[in-house]
Order: sequence, then structure tokens, then C-alpha cells
Amino acid sequence: MGDHEIQVGDTFHWDVSRRQFLAMSAAAVGTLAVGAIPFTQNSNAKPVRAQNSHTPPTKFDREVYTLCEQCVWRCGLRAKVVNGKVYKLDGNANHPHSNGMLCPRGQAGIASLYDPDRLQFPMVRGGDRGSGIWKRVTWKEALDYVAGKLQAIKQNFGAEAMVFSSTHNLSQVQFENLLRAYGSPNYGTQRSLCFNGMIIANLLTFGMQEPGRDYSGVKYIIYSGRNLAEAISNSETQDLIAAIDRGVRVVLLDPRFTKTASKATEWLPIKPGTDLAFYLAMLHVLITEGLYDKEFVKEHTKGFDDVAKAVKPYTPEWAASKCEIPAATIRRIAREFALASPHAFIHPGWRTSNFVNQFQAERTMGIINAISGNWNQPGGFSAGAGEEGGGLGAIPQPPYPRASALRLDGVPWKYPLVPLEIGVYQEMRDAILEGKPYPARGWFVHRQNPVASLPERKKTLQAFSKLDFIVTVDTTMNDTAWFSDVVLPEATYLERYDPLALVGDGVFIRQPVVPALGESKSALWIFKELGTRLGLQDYFQYKDEEDYIRQQLKPLGISLEELKAKGHYRPPTKSEAHAELKFNTPSGKIELYSDSLAKNNFAPVPVWQEPPAPPADQFYLLTGKVAQHTQFGTQNNKLLHELFPENVVWIHTKPAAERGIKNGDWVYVESAAGKIKIKAYVTEAIRPDCTYTTPGFGHLSKGNRVSYAQGASDSEIHLTYTDPASGGQALSQTFVKVYKA
Amino acid sequence: MAENKRRWGFVIEVKRCIDCKACMVACKVENAVPHDKHRNWIGRIGPTGTFPTLGMKFEPGNCMHCDNPPCERVCPTGATYRREDGIVLVEYDKCIGCRYCMQACPYDARFVHTEGYIDKCTFCVHRLDAGQPPACVETCVGGSRHFGDLNDPTSEVSKLLATRDHYVVYEEAGTGPKIFYIS
Repeated sequence: MGDHEIQVGDTFHWDVSRRQFLAMSAAAVGTLAVGAIPFTQNSNAKPVRAQNSHTPPTKFDREVYTLCEQCVWRCGLRAKVVNGKVYKLDGNANHPHSNGMLCPRGQAGIASLYDPDRLQFPMVRGGDRGSGIWKRVTWKEALDYVAGKLQAIKQNFGAEAMVFSSTHNLSQVQFENLLRAYGSPNYGTQRSLCFNGMIIANLLTFGMQEPGRDYSGVKYIIYSGRNLAEAISNSETQDLIAAIDRGVRVVLLDPRFTKTASKATEWLPIKPGTDLAFYLAMLHVLITEGLYDKEFVKEHTKGFDDVAKAVKPYTPEWAASKCEIPAATIRRIAREFALASPHAFIHPGWRTSNFVNQFQAERTMGIINAISGNWNQPGGFSAGAGEEGGGLGAIPQPPYPRASALRLDGVPWKYPLVPLEIGVYQEMRDAILEGKPYPARGWFVHRQNPVASLPERKKTLQAFSKLDFIVTVDTTMNDTAWFSDVVLPEATYLERYDPLALVGDGVFIRQPVVPALGESKSALWIFKELGTRLGLQDYFQYKDEEDYIRQQLKPLGISLEELKAKGHYRPPTKSEAHAELKFNTPSGKIELYSDSLAKNNFAPVPVWQEPPAPPADQFYLLTGKVAQHTQFGTQNNKLLHELFPENVVWIHTKPAAERGIKNGDWVYVESAAGKIKIKAYVTEAIRPDCTYTTPGFGHLSKGNRVSYAQGASDSEIHLTYTDPASGGQALSQTFVKVYKA
Repeated sequence: MAENKRRWGFVIEVKRCIDCKACMVACKVENAVPHDKHRNWIGRIGPTGTFPTLGMKFEPGNCMHCDNPPCERVCPTGATYRREDGIVLVEYDKCIGCRYCMQACPYDARFVHTEGYIDKCTFCVHRLDAGQPPACVETCVGGSRHFGDLNDPTSEVSKLLATRDHYVVYEEAGTGPKIFYIS
């Protein structure tokens, strides 16, 4: 370490091709540096080769058990350290999410750790937002400044004038602690951008956000858009492939021939937004033909008769006209599913159809699983392996102040069914732009990245322009950091502690494998320091990260040192009888009919909602993951960039020919929100009325030199549609024109 | 140790490969393979057919460590050699970078390392010596890649070959490749 070219107090240009000093610190005025100055603080901070450059190392300084964070699945891993640097990451065989394997993103973790573009010291803006001109400051200066701003906003405008946002991560609890202690009700996460439709439907039906799936004895699986071969959830992807290998029948509804489609027994290229019609007809068949578990329905569900009545009109013939899957196919699949039940499930998916009617589709899928009795059976749904509780010690803290201001995202006054901690993130910007119900003044971002994650990127940047203060805590200079006023560098997952992770009956630790690069710090440290400066120290009663974890471990009777050595701990299992099935719903049963929905003027039983369709000269715009990237956060990782450098737009052969578009041509993809220039991939593997692109590209930040301007941004062209029931966004309701550039 | 009786080989289940490329990253990091080079790959066949009747499959590969390796025969310096256990290696210091071996290899398994020598998959021989499977096998999310001793009838690879139909690539070339594919 060492040779820090940029000193505290320096103002400099953080640019894609060079990092050049604009002005030196006060002490050095007059000696303006000219030409490129290498920025990388650890020029040799890349994976080391063994001393004999031809032979990889077999001996390691140490092997450390910790948790991956290249996505939210949090696989267990073993990090091998040579000469003080992380050499290789392997899967931890003792972790149920990895089973000894890591996906490409997990394998590529060292390129995120040793990314030369990483943030390594705190900075405040030295020029206009987005100019790339920054001033390096000390942590003390940065924290004092941020705390001063937060305090001033609270005093002058109320805590509600600060907006907070984050993405699911282990330290999120302390970010939430900070914002709740501070007193702001305005909080947004990735959930409403992803799977609100799924989790709100499950909450209302089963009283839980996401039922678990058992693949061990499953005979039949239906997926709606869930692409496990590419949107990898490591252990579940392993389960699926093993199931296919055993001959389990897998039906996939997807307008695109994904890699999962290529593995499925049956791929049904459903018309976008009509999964609901397919499932309504399935439900119709099951009920009219008596193909359901009458005993289970009687004992554990509520409202069957209402559902039976509601689905009467939804014949397979009716559905075929909506979803373009033949009636005979729907009828056959319904019967096959019934025959395989209870060893069968319709997977709840994440975004599923990604239309406003996804919520109704999810309800219908859940109801089919329920009346088929696919609960707590080998190969069915179950309460699943939760992440909450688990007998860990809690850090003491006083109660939170009441945050009584209306939320800017409309929860619950516009979205009565959406839980407060989930929110409707994408709706905050209109409130910020209009200043209603009150003006927002600042935005505190931890590991989110609203500039890239929210639809209508222009609107997000406009909302930024209304704010006096934007602070971002992250590991890299992502697009949101680039447009922020203050950037605080967080240590990567291989350099820090986080609160403990629970998976099933096990406790797992994320611990530093190597010291944090530069001055980057853990989120636990950053939030405690800020909280203390805000006079909220009683909410942060831990001395440091290790003390935090020791307090968590106290009831378990295992020391931090023991846990660190093994990476995991399984408390002695209590024998739990599964005699009684109880669901955390108002009735204690699975709610096929939902009073909560009825009370709030939503359909209490599944009902058809016609999705919008594109005009004749336009296409549906589909998005979905690839195995090599996680949302918008991995594109600057050199190892992953090498495998998947930029996104393209898929278009079917026929409409491409009609427009004179050949494979590899540059095209414009234009929606009502904007247009992007992108390369075309002409293929048979998509419905002719659809286009597809991979999200997370077209970055604006010149601070990330690998990913800057690679590919094109889906956020630039996505429109904002929100489901009034779940608050989930409906990305696939964006329609686009495609023409040659 | 009865190393000389061993005959290392791969069995790859094509159906289980999801083309995620974890094997390619694992290999690259494990063996410090230079930027833009890879010792292993995933071949994609497809999408074939026309909408909506489509097919696609993935065929992972790496050096086949042939029993009759053409790369070894053409090597003018003897840098490429075959061990008793069947692993074909390049002795980098002896390699003059002439690329005859690259021409000879029907599988395109070799490349020029940035340091000038010819490089390729070693079956992670250093890991084998430490009792670990090759990095690509260990991390294979789909469970497509298997590795083991083809001479040991109780090994996983031998059992797979005994019970499942399999093929090798370019059998007609007579190279005797030791990656066996189960389709």
C-alpha cells in the first residue's frame, strides 16, 4: 500500500481516461500537475501469481470462510490468501446456498475487490454535479459535513425532507436503524422495482413474503418468466438442474427462449402480460374437473366457493385467445399438474410477467398451489428457510421517534397494502419533482443506485436537481455516486464484517479476508459514526464490528473466534412437530378470498385484468438477467466484463428483416421516455412482437472506466407504471419502436 | 502412491450445462490466465430451428489431454509432454512459442500466453496434487463437469461412462481425447 498520489485537500478530475489534478491543495498552489497521473493507489493490487509464474500456489497464508456479495443470495465461500492478497474464491461446501460451488459472479469477486476504480477515500464534490471534479477529504471532515447537512435539514424542514434508499444487504438493518432514529418515513429499496407483486400477493394469501420450495421430491414445476439458468440463485439453480436430470417435468412460460427454456420439458412462448389468463384457466380446469385436494381446501383455506364462482368464465378457450397458448395445452398442463400434486408447484418467480396485473397472476398461482395441497409435502411449497430471528442477540436501543409525515411514495395513503419497510420506491420522484405533499431536500443512498435502477433515468436526474444534498455510500463510483455531493467509500464484502446471516438452522459470518483497501470502511462503522454525530448514539450501542457480532452471538454460546474459524454454526436443533398448519393471515388460513383486498377495494378473488398491448408498429420491451452480471453493479468487474461486455437488443428475424436490420447493426430503441442506440441481435429465440435487452448497462459514470458507456441503459427508456395493489413496477408495459441507426 | 496407474479424465454432461461460465472464471483466476485468454470454454449450439420450435445446447470443453496427443508429436523442443497419468503439459521454459502445437490441436485448446509461451489447461494438476478437483469442476453450478480416474472402476467418471451413452469430439482424428460427453 502507499503511494497515494491524491492527498487530502486535493481537488482533482476523476475521469474515464485519466485522473488529472485540477488544482493542488492550498499548500501546493502553483505546482499544477500536468499530464496523466496514475491513480491506482495499489498498482500491484491485483491477484498475485505464485512465485514461479507457471505454477499456481497450493499453499496459502490462510483460508477464510466468509459470505459472497456478488448478488443477494449470499453463498458461503472460502477465500484463499497468498502474500496478503486474496488469490482465489471457492464455494463453501458447508453453506446451503453454495454447496461448494460459486457462480461466475462469485468466482469473479477478486476483480471487484481489486478493481482499480474502487472508492478508497471520502470525497466531496469540487465542481458541478456529474462534472467528475472531486475533493479528497478526511473521514472526519466528510462525516462532520454529512451529519451537519442532515441535522440542518431536520431542523429547518423536518426529518421527512430526507429520503433514504438502500438495497437488500446484511448491514441494511443499521441503515434502517439510522433513518428511523433520525425520524424520516421516506425509505425505498429495490423490492418494489423487483418483486412487490409476488411478496404482497403471498403475504395476503399465505401470510409470508415468499414460500420456500422443496425440490427433493418434486415431479412437476411451472415457472413464469423465472430464468434460473441465467438469473442464478445458486442453490436453487443447482436444484433445478438436478430435477431436470431426474426427469422432472418443467414447464416454462416466457416470451423469450432463455437458457432455462432450452432446459425445460416444455417452453410456452406466452404473450407478455397474459400469464394471469393462463393461470385463471388452469384454476378453472382444476375446479370444474374436481382436480384439487378437497381435504386440504376444507382444513386450511378460506373462500374456495368465491374463487370457484369467480373463475367460471375463464375457460381454456377464453384464455387461449388472450395468452396465445392453445386451450388443449392449458387443459393438459392443468391435469398433469393435478396428477403430480402434491409433489408439484408453480414457482412464485420474481418479476413474473412484469405487468400491473402480475399481482393478480401471483395470487392465482398461489391459490393453485394451495388448492392442490402442495404444502409441506416433498416437492411443494413450505414456510421455507427464513432469515429472521434465529435466537440471535439484539443490540439494545431506545424506541424510535414517531415519523408522522406522509410518505413521499404514497405508502400507505395511496398504497394501503404495501408494508412500510417495503415501500414504492419508484413513486418518490414525482413527489420530489412536484414538491408535494412537501418538498424533499436530500437523498441518502446506501448501495442502491437510483440513477441506474429506477425507470426513466431522466426523471431521476431531474429529481436530483431539486435536492440540496445527496450522499452515497458505496464501494465504487457508480452512476448515483457520480451525481452525488458526498461519496463515502465502503469496504467490499471481502474486507469487512457485517451483521450475522441466518440460513435455515445455521448462523453464518461475513468477516474480513484482507484489510480494507485505502480508507474504505464497513457500513457498521459508517452508520455508527454518523449516528453518534447526530446525537443518536443510543441507537448504536456497539463499540465496533466485532463487538456487534459478539452481542449477536451471546445467546448462542459460541465465541466470535470459533465462528470465524469455521464460518458457520448450527445450534442444536429443537425437535419441532409440524402437526398444526397455521398461516399468519387474519383468518389463520390460506386466504383464497382476501378480506384485506376487499376492504381496500381490490378484487378479493382473482379476476382478469386486460394488460395494455403495443400499437402495431411497436414492440414489448422485455428485460432479464444474464448469469454474468448482477443488476447494475458488476459491469465494471473486469473478469465479468470480459465475458459479457455490453448488452444488445434481441429482435425476431421477421420484424428485423422488415426493417432492414441485420445481426450486429446499430439500432435505436425508442419509447415515450427516451431512446438508446444499441446493437441488434437478430434471432428466432423471441416472440416476433417482443424485444429484449439486458439491464444494467450504458453507465454514465466516467469513474468506472470499464463499464462507462458500454452498451445502453434500459433505465433511459423504461416507463414508470405502478401496480396500485402491490406497489410493484411494471417494466414490461414499456413499448418501443426499433429502427436502424 | 500408485500415480502411474491413474488415467485422469473428464466426463461432461451436456444436458446439465447452463452456460453460466463459472468454470471459465474459476479457471482464469486459479491459473492466472491473462486478459482476453481462456483455457476452457463453453461451445453453444443453437438456437436451432424456427420460432417456436427451438433447441439449444452447450458443450463445455478444455484441453482433452489426449492419449495420442498431436500437439506432443509436432513439438520440436519436447516442451509438450505427456505424463504417466495421461496429463499433457507444456514445460514453459522449453517452449519457443512456434505454435505448431496450436496448428495440430483439433480442439483449439491452446493459445499464446502474453509471456510468449503456449499455454493450455493442465487439468489443474497442482490442485490434483493437493487432493482437490480442477477449479472448473469444483464450481460447476449445473454439475455438468466431472473429473476422476478413468482406470478406477469405482470413480464417478467410470460409473458414468459405464451406464450412460457418451461420445468424444473428433473421434475420427484418432487423438484419443479424455473428455467424454454425455448428451
